[in-house]
Amino acid sequence: MEGNGQSNVYRPELMEVIGLHQETIDVKSVRLRFKEPERQEHFSHHVGQFGIFSVFGYGESTFNICSSSNWHDRLEFCFRRVGKVTDAFWKIEEGDTIGFRGPYGNWYPTEEWEGKNLIFISGGIAMPPVRCAIWYCLENREKYGDITILYGARSVGDLVFVDELDKWAEYERVRVIKTVDPGGETPEWKGDIGFVPTVLDKASISAENAVALVIGPPVMIKFSLPVLDKMGLAAKDIYTSLENRMKCGIGKCGRCNAGPVYVCKEGPVFTLEQIRSLPEDY
Amino acid sequence: MQQQELRQLARKLLEEGTVKVVIGYGQPVAGAPAFPVFITDPAKVDTLVWNEQCFHNLTGYLKRKEIRALGKPAIVVKGCDERTLVMLEKESQIVRSDIYVIGMACSGVGEPQAAKCACCEVHMPRLADSVIGQVDNPPVDASARYAVLDEFLSAYPTPAARMAYWQEELGRCVKCYACRQICPLCYCERCIFDKNRPTCVDTSPTLKGNFGYHITRAFHLAARCIECEECTRACPVGIDLRLLNQSLSRGAEEHFGFRAGVDPEAELVVGSYSLKDREDFIQ
Amino acid sequence: MSETITKDALLKLVDEWIGQGKRTIGPTEIKPGHIRYARLEDSAALKLGGYIRPQNSVKEFVFPKHEKLYRYLFEGKEISLAEADGEPAATVVVGSRPCDAAAFDILDRVFNWDFVDEQFNARRRATTIVTIACREWDDYCFCTSVGLGPAAPRGSDVLLMPLDGGAYEVRALTDAGRALFAGHTTPAEVTATEPAGPERKFDMESVGEFLRASWDKPLWRDEALRCLGCGACTYECPTCHCFDIVDEGNARGGYRARNWDACQFRMFTVHASGHNPRPDQPSRQRQRILHKFRIYPDKFGELLCTGCGNCGRACPVGLGVLNVLEAAAKAAVEG
Repeated sequence: MEGNGQSNVYRPELMEVIGLHQETIDVKSVRLRFKEPERQEHFSHHVGQFGIFSVFGYGESTFNICSSSNWHDRLEFCFRRVGKVTDAFWKIEEGDTIGFRGPYGNWYPTEEWEGKNLIFISGGIAMPPVRCAIWYCLENREKYGDITILYGARSVGDLVFVDELDKWAEYERVRVIKTVDPGGETPEWKGDIGFVPTVLDKASISAENAVALVIGPPVMIKFSLPVLDKMGLAAKDIYTSLENRMKCGIGKCGRCNAGPVYVCKEGPVFTLEQIRSLPEDY
Repeated sequence: MQQQELRQLARKLLEEGTVKVVIGYGQPVAGAPAFPVFITDPAKVDTLVWNEQCFHNLTGYLKRKEIRALGKPAIVVKGCDERTLVMLEKESQIVRSDIYVIGMACSGVGEPQAAKCACCEVHMPRLADSVIGQVDNPPVDASARYAVLDEFLSAYPTPAARMAYWQEELGRCVKCYACRQICPLCYCERCIFDKNRPTCVDTSPTLKGNFGYHITRAFHLAARCIECEECTRACPVGIDLRLLNQSLSRGAEEHFGFRAGVDPEAELVVGSYSLKDREDFIQ
Repeated sequence: MSETITKDALLKLVDEWIGQGKRTIGPTEIKPGHIRYARLEDSAALKLGGYIRPQNSVKEFVFPKHEKLYRYLFEGKEISLAEADGEPAATVVVGSRPCDAAAFDILDRVFNWDFVDEQFNARRRATTIVTIACREWDDYCFCTSVGLGPAAPRGSDVLLMPLDGGAYEVRALTDAGRALFAGHTTPAEVTATEPAGPERKFDMESVGEFLRASWDKPLWRDEALRCLGCGACTYECPTCHCFDIVDEGNARGGYRARNWDACQFRMFTVHASGHNPRPDQPSRQRQRILHKFRIYPDKFGELLCTGCGNCGRACPVGLGVLNVLEAAAKAAVEG
């Protein structure tokens, strides 16, 4: 459903915070529910879309909706405390009211992925926009082939959704590889040690009939792409979610364009093939 | 004549490698205001002009990364612009020996002549590496310095009248920040008005946001503003911003005997500490 | 046969509109040397000649520099929202230029792209535009290079063509325009001469092609080095529409508003991480030109520019889009 159906497209809907979880020293995930129960019932989105969440008095901020589109009783997003608005989000408590506009943007073409093997690669705080896709696919398990999840972070303390990583490994034909950068391990760490691109290279993941969703810091993407290329994945089968500074989220304020493409309207989900045709404006 | 000499000097400096770029004035359309040019090729020095359309205070470009990246600059300055160099050096923003200063003797800019030229005491640059031209430099009645301010104060004699004036004028401000961007002494890497933790002044172009911005910026320039009046020239909506700065400049002169950029030896008012500093206003 | 109106009758009509409570806007000398579109108290303030065009555009009366989007109220832990302003005031702009009026048609596209911006639409609906065709132009004008002209009717409700002798031929183009002038015009056997307009300064077609492949060209560095990174050009432009969204208020509540913003500011695209895809003035200038002459036309089939020349006039360092496009035209030829 586009927008909130109200005549003021900038006006947010009110949501109640029904859960908070601190993932790392500066990352929290937030669980929300529309204040209007009927709205919650009828709300739907597609995994990959984003919302504009706000703390009244501080401002709005753009986050991927990191909950699966199959979960109809809630909406989730995950944020790192970096600026004025996320500082304000850090201080909210259960029961508080925040604003929401969305869902905006395009989404992962999960229908096109049916019948394929899926490779999910992410790093650090970029796990949440991949998490929603993972849950979605696991909840429709029979539609997809083998699933490989490779997730890494600078250190054990920087991993988010760690409990879910273990749960995913329990599903059929799901292989979970978790890694931390060299020096980021703890004595108890049982996962891999190495940068994501290095671990990817050694993991011997088959690229046959596969698509990959790769979201992470620029340096991780930069070094992972040649590995995916070596594995035999075509640029049109590698997906990512772009980030650019946003304000309105609906294609009017003129800020988020990467060359000729408005990230909020024609993205944020792009294939590598599409991104290569864009100038470096993101 | 001066223009010819300037072009010759620029060519020489570039050809000999003394400087990598000459920051001066160009003017593709005769009669229109001259605007800043950056000459790196000695073959292009004929782009440089010198006439009474050369308003711009070019010293503001010395703080810009992309200009510094071009290499050692020569910069064309009028006597009034030179005051900026004194302040920038005292505030440790430039190293004087890293710049080649070309001073132009100037009898005034603008037609009709700009108000600041009527009370100019620096028609001849004093601190340049080369001075081009010769012009009389008659002494100026000190009271003429604040003529524009005094005219305003007598036209608007009461606080209520002045408040009404500023509400009208600052009400037009659109927060384009031309005044800040053109000011050579606004060189903070991250301006306080761009910060948002906390947001000190509303960014909106409301009366509240506009008053907050202009008055704060004027105070940040107190005893630093060298009265080039570029802010007023740059303002697209015609606000007479120099009135705010002149008011504070007069305060600096009356209370601290200080005029920004005039005496290279004088200690800064805000930037220095002396045991002899006045304390009589602390009650 | 045309409908005509004398200058005096027009001024009387303007006073009538003001008397009816319409917000009446027109060019006026707000202070010596500064002619801007502003609210008129009476027709004597309307300045009809002796200058090329006002310094500002008409956009601020439909797309204000500051617009409250809605209010929020804190009551303990509870938050409630309320609409910000009532219906926009009925507005007449008299003495608009064709390059100002055409902008609204162009802006309609982005403000109605999938999501309908009711704030913009409502103000647009409430505004009637009476344009006066130009008989003079200066070196900053380039409407004829972007598909418009000194008597272009786009976006206007009424187009007044100046006649020799001081009267105007009245061309009512919309129902709103007809309603405004009904009963106030006199038929006459005159037709105004169509003004030629400024000479074409460049060929949009070939400049457009050049821009398409210009991302890494030295043009941007060469032209934009003197750019100060202020928003003067953007804010005086009839078609620039980028905006920021801010929350302002106190412990009791406040409002969320949108303010004009400019791609020329360094902070425009800076990420929370500190990364800035457009880290210097050349890249920001490139964005401005490409947005107007490549991105917007590719998306909406319209140039985001009406050739009014305000940018060049407002810029403290003489860097209007015309300067850059002429440089692009030259570079296109030189290869």
